[in-house]
Amino acid sequence: MPNVTSFYLSRVIGNKVFSEEKKVVGRLLDLVVDASYIRPKVIAAKVKSGGRTQIVDFSFFIIYKEKGQYVIETRNLKPIDVKKEDTIMLVRHILDKQIVDMNGRKVVRVNDIRLAVLSTGVYVIAVDIGLEGLLRRLGLAKPLKKVLKPLGKNIPSRLILWDDVQPLASPRLDLKLSTTYSKLATLHPSDLADIIEELDKKTQAYIFSTLDDEKAADVLEELEVEAQRNVLESLPVEKAADALEKMPADEVADILDEIKEERAEELLNSMEKEASEEVKELMEYPENSVGAIMTTDFISFKTHFTVEQTIEELRRLKPEPDEIYYLYVVDNDERLCGVVSLRDLVISEPQTPLYEIMNRDVVCVKDTDNVNSLVEIISKYSLLAVPVVDESKKLIGVVIINDIVYELLKMKRKLLL
Amino acid sequence: MAQTTRSTRLRNILLILSVIGPGLVTATADNDASGIATYAMVGSMFGYKMLWGLFLITISLAVIQEMAARMGVVTGKGLSDLIRENFGVKMTFFAMVTLLIANFTTTVGEFAGIAASLEIFGISKYISVPLTAIFVWYIINKGSYRKTEKFFLGLMVIYVSYIISGFLAKPDWKEVFKNTFVPSFSFEPSFVLIFIAMIGTTITPWMQFYLQSSVVDKGVDVKNLKYQRWDVFLGAFWTDFIAFFIVVATAATLYKHGINIETAEDAAKALQPFAGKYASSLFAIGLFGASLLGAHILPLSTAYAITEAFGFENGLDKKFKEAPIFYGIILLFIVIGAGIILLPNIPLIKLMIIAQEINGILLPIILIYMLKLTNDKEIMGEYVNSKLFNVIAWVTVVFIIILTLILLVQPFLNI
Repeated sequence: MPNVTSFYLSRVIGNKVFSEEKKVVGRLLDLVVDASYIRPKVIAAKVKSGGRTQIVDFSFFIIYKEKGQYVIETRNLKPIDVKKEDTIMLVRHILDKQIVDMNGRKVVRVNDIRLAVLSTGVYVIAVDIGLEGLLRRLGLAKPLKKVLKPLGKNIPSRLILWDDVQPLASPRLDLKLSTTYSKLATLHPSDLADIIEELDKKTQAYIFSTLDDEKAADVLEELEVEAQRNVLESLPVEKAADALEKMPADEVADILDEIKEERAEELLNSMEKEASEEVKELMEYPENSVGAIMTTDFISFKTHFTVEQTIEELRRLKPEPDEIYYLYVVDNDERLCGVVSLRDLVISEPQTPLYEIMNRDVVCVKDTDNVNSLVEIISKYSLLAVPVVDESKKLIGVVIINDIVYELLKMKRKLLL
Repeated sequence: MAQTTRSTRLRNILLILSVIGPGLVTATADNDASGIATYAMVGSMFGYKMLWGLFLITISLAVIQEMAARMGVVTGKGLSDLIRENFGVKMTFFAMVTLLIANFTTTVGEFAGIAASLEIFGISKYISVPLTAIFVWYIINKGSYRKTEKFFLGLMVIYVSYIISGFLAKPDWKEVFKNTFVPSFSFEPSFVLIFIAMIGTTITPWMQFYLQSSVVDKGVDVKNLKYQRWDVFLGAFWTDFIAFFIVVATAATLYKHGINIETAEDAAKALQPFAGKYASSLFAIGLFGASLLGAHILPLSTAYAITEAFGFENGLDKKFKEAPIFYGIILLFIVIGAGIILLPNIPLIKLMIIAQEINGILLPIILIYMLKLTNDKEIMGEYVNSKLFNVIAWVTVVFIIILTLILLVQPFLNI
């Protein structure tokens, strides 16, 4: 009997299971693997015998080839208990289902699964997502290959190594992996957002709930409006609010504008007071006003601060890169009176007060101005950010160039549609 | 107190409005070119005799559409996704071949509708069909399909004129009501065929896929399922309400005078009591809108269903090279669908009816898949079908199969 080194799942599922005496003892329905290994090992088989299905120990099984057919033989049908955690049923959870191809960074459908037979057991090595796998399942791969061979053509096959596969546990399939989605968390937020957008609502929310708050916030920012809406509406309030708190207030205001009012209120109420109030203020601005797109996450310094104090303060705050394009200087009433660049700060003596080095000629806009005027100002003075003041000249926010680009793209898209 | 009840009522209305759409849109789109032709044929050939069938089909339609919508809401997945995930490749392949055949013939029917409607204005099909085919391809590629959809849906409102015409033609209302509730049947092949076509055009395979995807797109929450249900029921009622009046109007005018429908102009005659000499123009505009909408929806929804089931790249945001199979299906549907209409001496109206007959014959296959899925506790949880729904859906399936069998056995019995 020739030894089998590797085989496709589709070639053995549904086959008869024989005893050592070559008697039929059942039919193979599924294979159960232990997913805690890097290469998941088959530990049990789901077998239908005598009208009932049972999960049996796979260590009594051997698989070999006879006359081109795979033969499954077992010494013993010994029932075995498998833990829900860390076990995957190949047919039930993987075959024909969607998975994430970590290298291609997209959601694909599994047509077949490749397993390897080693002396220590049977292991899952790859999933087949190509056309060949599809045709093999239909029983068309072999005949088609025969036809194509003389023509020098082949059916394209695509295998993804198991290392690069992230199964998607739909809650419906009660697949519980203790290491759930650890692989997904390594992806760039915008890649992960693309993947999440392709999934159904429930799985979207499920994946989202497994991300930590920071990651969740980053991904939420990258999602398209529709997916944002879905995630915010189907996640538990607490989890959603935690993610929102990590996001810039202007982004949050944008998102909350898109979802049901009731839900938005619920989320705002669950957020920390400080964060939610900023968002609420921003949400009150009309759509095309500067106030609606500005961020309230900016840093400002008082006129009497010394260079040394300012730098120390910056070290303490550790602001995001786009928050320190410009450092704004305000008087005791929070009124904008100047701007200092990082360069000015670095080249000045430590004891110099800011009012001596600041540029008093600051270009700024009012929160009630139209967004269009912003574009002009930014391009005219080649700025990376513009400060926003209210009626009384008080500094209340900043518009960063990124947000304007986004705004422009949105307008362009609207025109195109 | 009064304040709160008013605000809850307002909230309910808002909730209903927020989920309304998929069912009503699908239903309106269902009265497409072939649909109009079929209903007009039903009325002109058999008068009021099939109204009882339409009445019963409305119930089946409501139940079946509700199943699709419920599946969409509960699972968040499209029908072809669910078929693939739960029945494996072979069964999916079978379902997709069925869908492909049914949808392709319907697409041909839509192009027939385009040709027929514009012929009323004296535009040759050799001009109208290639131009609209290019237009359809352009709109789909440009991704502005959603907006166009609304425009064509608007054109279809013209069919409301059948309701007025139905009244103005002064039908024998007693006959109408009697036939709506008392069944009469004939084993004549033409009767059976038209009956199948009537079922096939009212409950179509493509609608189930299209509706479920629309519901998924809309992202309706399970909590709002009961409102989604109203949307679907309203849609089913609306589509058949129009159908009912097309049958009544054609029966009261064409059937009474023994006019057989052979061209679109014949079908337009039923509008004469209402629109007089403008009847054919009015009819042509409506038919054109309906056909053009269908010519967009069918290739697109087929391409989505098939690529989703087999895991090929899809989406209008991708380029042809990135999603060749997706765009390939759309292109083939448009090119071959329009191409068939360009064959000389093709009987347009007959073609539309044949499309619906094929739809009707293939419908049970898709319905059986749907029934299996909606009864699966693992998939639907507590939202599995009720007994009543199962009975109605199964009766529909069995009834169509029996009709098909009668059709197949008929020629042998006559010998």
